[in-house]
Amino acid sequence: MGEPARYLYAVCRGLAPSALDGVRGLDGGRLEVLGVLDLEAVVSTVDLDEFGEDGLRANLERLDWVERTARGHDAVVQACAGAAPTAPMRLATVCLDDESVRLRLQEHYPDLAEALGRIEGRKEWSVKVYEHPSAQEEPEAAEPAALGGAAYLRRKKSAAVERRVAREQATAAADAVDRELCGLAVAARHLRPQDPRLAGFGGTMLLNGAYLVDDVSTRSFTGRVAELVAAFPDVSIACDGPWPPYSFATLEGP
Amino acid sequence: MSQTGGDTTVAQRPGPYGTNPYGDRQPRPASLADVLDRVLDKGIVIAGDIQVNLLDIELLTIKIRLLVASVDKAQEMGIDWWKNDPMLSGRSDRLADENRELKKRVQELEGRDG
Repeated sequence: MGEPARYLYAVCRGLAPSALDGVRGLDGGRLEVLGVLDLEAVVSTVDLDEFGEDGLRANLERLDWVERTARGHDAVVQACAGAAPTAPMRLATVCLDDESVRLRLQEHYPDLAEALGRIEGRKEWSVKVYEHPSAQEEPEAAEPAALGGAAYLRRKKSAAVERRVAREQATAAADAVDRELCGLAVAARHLRPQDPRLAGFGGTMLLNGAYLVDDVSTRSFTGRVAELVAAFPDVSIACDGPWPPYSFATLEGP
Repeated sequence: MSQTGGDTTVAQRPGPYGTNPYGDRQPRPASLADVLDRVLDKGIVIAGDIQVNLLDIELLTIKIRLLVASVDKAQEMGIDWWKNDPMLSGRSDRLADENRELKKRVQELEGRDG
């Protein structure tokens, strides 16, 4: 065991400590809430062997560690966000002791308070638009030998044109979906489209949108997404949420 | 738009059609890609006492996105859908084949005309 340190998951405002009952921190650590002015820092103890500079450098190269830590971090943030306005920290925000955590909150108080004000009563929704995997597939050239060479080449060319047209239509659909949802959201961010191999879906991701939506508008937002799914059958639309406002509780402004 | 079985591909794994806030909300674990998008790229950045090189983290996310991790590791994590994807399983040299086929055709055509 190395020296202990404090891992900071999130900063909340008005978090009842009971909201975290039954939730554990990373490595099963006990969650604690440190009050600073009207804010609460949610922390647990971690081992510097694992979360010190050397440990982190090595661990961040290990996909299994990254996944476990990312999911553990997210679980705590989710629990907080379900109970109070929550500003999630970036992964692996580690201080040596409680005093140091309190100092950070005091130092950044105005920005944190502003960020929390921005997301209070709102949630983040993820909407992604994919091109159907089939659209990218080369149509099977049935018995190419049966065709004349010129006909074969013409067919290849028209398949390429079809694919380009399909891509243009799908991109236009993604833009239309984004425009619609931006109209219903308080704010929107475009995340980088995910690699199809990681996203677990064969089609190219054309939109990876994050939308900040008023809680009172949740129904109209998700209802609109359902309508868009029906309106644009040529693309796949996925909606996930609500997420804690990761993409919007930032210090650099909306 | 397509002759191949796109719909079957979609049905084979939970994915874009899987979750949805409308209708019955059956929470499923968020995809690792979605979690990483947020915990690595977003959230409040406050420098703690432990200096993490964010550039390293960005590089890491790129690495993860490109799935540099071994296939075994990915399968362990349940990322194994490519096994059902003809594009990726055993037909990766299709382009090369197609290229050869095209070249052959072009040669035949040239031979016929000239």
